[in-house]
Amino acid sequence: MSDIKRNIKRVDPRRPFGITPAGLRRIVLGETGVVASDAASAKAADKAKDKDKPLRSTEAFTQWHMAIMRSDRGRLDEHARQAIAAAVILARPRTGVIAVVLGDLNENLAALGADRVAVLPEFESSRFQPERELAAVEVMIAAYEAVHVFIPDNAAGDGDLGRRLIAAQHGSWAAHVSEIDARHVSVSWSGGAQVAQTKLPRFVLLDAGAVDADLPFVGAAELIGSDEIPTIPEAVSTCRDLGLEANDVNEIALEEADFIVSAGSGVRNVATLQALAATLGAVVGASRVAVDDGMLPRDRQIGATGKTVSASAYIAVGISGAVQHLQGIKNCRHVIALNRDSGAPIVKRADLTVIGDAEDVMQALITRIAQARAQREGPEAT
Amino acid sequence: MSTPSLSIAVLVSAGRHPVSGIARACRGDAVALALARKLGGDRLRVIHAGKAEEPSIRDYLALGAGRVEVLSTSDGQDPAQPLAAHLKDVGVILTGSRAEVGAGSGMFPYRLAHAMGRPLVGNVLDARIDEDGVTVRQFLPKGRRRGIAAPVPIVLVVHPMAPAQLKYAHARRVAGRVEAVSGFAAPELGDASASVPAWSIDPAPRRPVRLKAQENKTGHARLQSAIVFEAKGGTVAFDGSSVDKAQIMLNYLREHRLVDF
Ligand SMILES: Cc1cc2nc3c(=O)[nH]c(=O)nc-3n(C[C@H](O)[C@H](O)[C@H](O)COP(=O)(O)OP(=O)(O)OC[C@H]3O[C@@H](n4cnc5c(N)ncnc54)[C@H](O)[C@@H]3O)c2cc1C
Ligand SMILES: Nc1ncnc2c1ncn2[C@@H]1O[C@H](COP(=O)(O)O)[C@@H](O)[C@H]1O
Repeated sequence: MSDIKRNIKRVDPRRPFGITPAGLRRIVLGETGVVASDAASAKAADKAKDKDKPLRSTEAFTQWHMAIMRSDRGRLDEHARQAIAAAVILARPRTGVIAVVLGDLNENLAALGADRVAVLPEFESSRFQPERELAAVEVMIAAYEAVHVFIPDNAAGDGDLGRRLIAAQHGSWAAHVSEIDARHVSVSWSGGAQVAQTKLPRFVLLDAGAVDADLPFVGAAELIGSDEIPTIPEAVSTCRDLGLEANDVNEIALEEADFIVSAGSGVRNVATLQALAATLGAVVGASRVAVDDGMLPRDRQIGATGKTVSASAYIAVGISGAVQHLQGIKNCRHVIALNRDSGAPIVKRADLTVIGDAEDVMQALITRIAQARAQREGPEAT
Repeated sequence: MSTPSLSIAVLVSAGRHPVSGIARACRGDAVALALARKLGGDRLRVIHAGKAEEPSIRDYLALGAGRVEVLSTSDGQDPAQPLAAHLKDVGVILTGSRAEVGAGSGMFPYRLAHAMGRPLVGNVLDARIDEDGVTVRQFLPKGRRRGIAAPVPIVLVVHPMAPAQLKYAHARRVAGRVEAVSGFAAPELGDASASVPAWSIDPAPRRPVRLKAQENKTGHARLQSAIVFEAKGGTVAFDGSSVDKAQIMLNYLREHRLVDF
């Protein structure tokens, strides 16, 4: 039996594939997809796609749209991207779009269509300084005489800042906007039973999902130098920031968690998974099968009949990725899968899939993190 | 727990069940009422601007408001100005985050605070009265919480997720009083058009349409996008020992700044 097995040349139908620069999936005989080259070609494909896109406007701008948002660890979330996209889509050829980012920014906003980018790194979201933020934003709006101002209506502070801005400025406004075009904005009326509309106001607080952030064109994304940013007047802060609470990971509700390590039926030793979650400062989640098996309590279940989560990082260990489970993680930004089977549906959803035995890789990761923590080495060192 | 000199008021709006449309206490305002009761005890003032006949107001009595003051306003009038005048001696004003009737923009407390020239703290989960002000616990997404020491007078906007035990008692509903207080007819300050948008309600219910950029693609490009599926999924790591694989995961986490080491 084993002889026969050895002699027949078997073709793995799910064998590794490469991705061509055009972004297509190709199986090349005698060649296995290597992570590095895969990642590189995928990135190249992404770049090529952006490069193919034309500049939205080559004319000189005579007026401005402004999008204002906070960054999270140097990046903008989907909701913030949609606010920029709204400003861009509604801009006419002679209208430029300025993205005003409160906090650090480590990404290029060209693909989002921004023509100018002003970064105000001193307003990171961990600090409570609404008066100063308001002063900064008002100065920027005044400097560019922004015709329309777009702000994501979120709980991360942009919704709050937008409302302070509207109260302080005398301009037309609309909040919780769920539909927008060049002429009007709509909001849901009386809890969603009806829709009400008004004409496009000056200040728009956008709800998530109102705009498709995929654009067929790019912006110049020219960074406004710190010397060109107008000086921000001093504002007295009335409240004293007592700082963020050191919160206990286990007290964070799954729905709110930013980092989740989730167990599926491929996990045999939950203790390892819990140890991994503890080292990463992550909340523990589970698939339905893991819950049914009694591995974790019912309130940990993620998916259609469990909880819907929106973590920045979601590590799925031994989870096949059934649709019912994927439904619960559709809002997660980075999904990492650890699975034995490269054909599992989770691979299609995951941004990174590691094929291997759950237990071994988790153990290795715990040790590796402990080492990294001890050395505090930078990412370049690896 | 509360200092005797400090007066506390909570603003409650008319509520409607989002599906059935039945008049009831606005959920978020009921949570604000619960927090306000914790701060103010019996001296708490519960205030609504509108009509005394509004059926949902009695629900707040059932939820523990002993008495609701109704500041009568005419239909089209913006309640922020008369309320600002009516509340000028109140130290701590609590409100909900969003009304259930109408647009529910959540702008009302901000306009009120601006009209009264006082600071405001939003997304309040919990509050405690101290000697020199109020200590607030603020909600931030991703499970984070912030402490803020706020001065008095202040406007606190209560987050709907604030922990609150709502106990509905019919006896209180019957025993409580709704009292109309005559607001002073405030002249509309500033330009009224800017204060609240003029909404026109669509007759038929519909789903909002997503704004999408216009794309002028050739027929060929459109056909291509319809028949060629883009490769989905990210990188897949097959090779190496489990230590290598752990390293790949760690690199990914670091590259996207998901970990801080
Ligand atoms: C109405 C309905 C509602 C549902 N709701 C939910 C829901 O809310 N949430 C939910 O999660 N599910 C839900 N399900 C169930 C769902 O369809 C799947 O059955 C379930 O998600 C599968 O869980 P799993 O991925 O943990 O298990 P499996 O599908 O058994 O997958 C296990 C995975 O682990 C891998 N594996 C095994 N051993 C190892 C190892 N040693 N190392 C690494 N990998 C290994 C395997 O390759 C496999 O991919 C629902 C189903 C129905 C019908
Ligand atoms: N007419 C009103 N009377 C009293 N309080 C109100 C009134 N309208 C709004 N509020 C308060 O302001 C909050 C936000 O309302 P809104 O801006 O309309 O969404 C509500 O949760 C209430 O606490």
